[in-house]
Amino acid sequence: MKRDPVVIIVVALVVTVMIVFGFQVARRNSGVTASAGPNMNGQAAPDFTLESLDGKTVHLSDFRGKGVLLNFWATWCQPCKIEMPWFAELQKQYGPQGLQIVGIAMDDASPKEIGEFAHDLGVNYPILIGKEEVGNAYGGVQFLPATFYIGRDGKVVDKVFGLKGRGEIENSIKKALAEGQPVQAQK
Amino acid sequence: MSIIRKLSLILALLAALAAAQDNQDLPGRKTPSVSMAPSPVITVTRGRPNTVNLRFRVGAGFHVNSNQPKSEFLIPTVLKLSAPTDIVIGRVTYPAGTDMSFAFAPEDKLSVYTGEFPVVVDVRPLAGVIPARYMIRGELKYQACDKAACYPPRKLPVQFEVKVIKGPPPRRRNPGQSPHVHL
Repeated sequence: MKRDPVVIIVVALVVTVMIVFGFQVARRNSGVTASAGPNMNGQAAPDFTLESLDGKTVHLSDFRGKGVLLNFWATWCQPCKIEMPWFAELQKQYGPQGLQIVGIAMDDASPKEIGEFAHDLGVNYPILIGKEEVGNAYGGVQFLPATFYIGRDGKVVDKVFGLKGRGEIENSIKKALAEGQPVQAQK
Repeated sequence: MSIIRKLSLILALLAALAAAQDNQDLPGRKTPSVSMAPSPVITVTRGRPNTVNLRFRVGAGFHVNSNQPKSEFLIPTVLKLSAPTDIVIGRVTYPAGTDMSFAFAPEDKLSVYTGEFPVVVDVRPLAGVIPARYMIRGELKYQACDKAACYPPRKLPVQFEVKVIKGPPPRRRNPGQSPHVHL
């Protein structure tokens, strides 16, 4: 049987386009940057003790029973600056349903500077002063922003590295709020 | 080789390229890199100011803040050098950054370096330095980002060698004429 070269080329092109398109779709559906760091989904989020900007000692376990968005950020991170006002709005929107957003500043800046920076962005959720060991407990936060979504049962339901669209953030928040039973916060 | 085999090979290559491209697009899949172009031994004249041009390269897909970023919170690119005694490091001159906006903040312009950028250093060996080769060491502090994420500040070790030479002898003025010289 003689093959028509034009048909073969067309078929080859179609297959190539499908492969490239397939990679793009797979990437979008895979939680995108979930490959950065170890896969923590389904595991208990490591508890920590950190100090907030107003000098309070805060544990992650303080928020058990709530869906938690844990955002590692820094004042030198421009993409972080984009999503923080979104977080403030989402805290207002989903707070009544049990969402608690917590920012962890992985920064060399002083608490005063961090506070001013956060204030200018309208942050209405607690900002904690980060420590390297906390970043390490979350798989080593090698770049920012890095956001972990934690269900009401304290298990990681999603993690996202790098800036994502507001819609994707909102979807992950819904996922965190849906996971685990709403229980009374425990100390 | 049949045309089918050839096409299969091309397809496999294209798929591999697509996968590689896919990986590069994701933050964290690639480490940001800033490197210094190899610098030949630079000849400098003792007792005089000399200019040394250093060239740095930012890896593809990344940018670093310029020396004059547009926000006090952004970390500028800064070169710090320490030289042997009697070799004075003077002014370090950085290029102006390129104003660029990125997908994460299309309305904001950041002053950044991408690709290759030069840094010019004034080096002045004092007049008493023994002519020889000297190593000057230091570090370039930078903070890199890609289109969706930022990486903690890093320090790139920097070193270059200078060869100190004697300057030409100072011009001699005409010797004073003795009024008592008689030819």
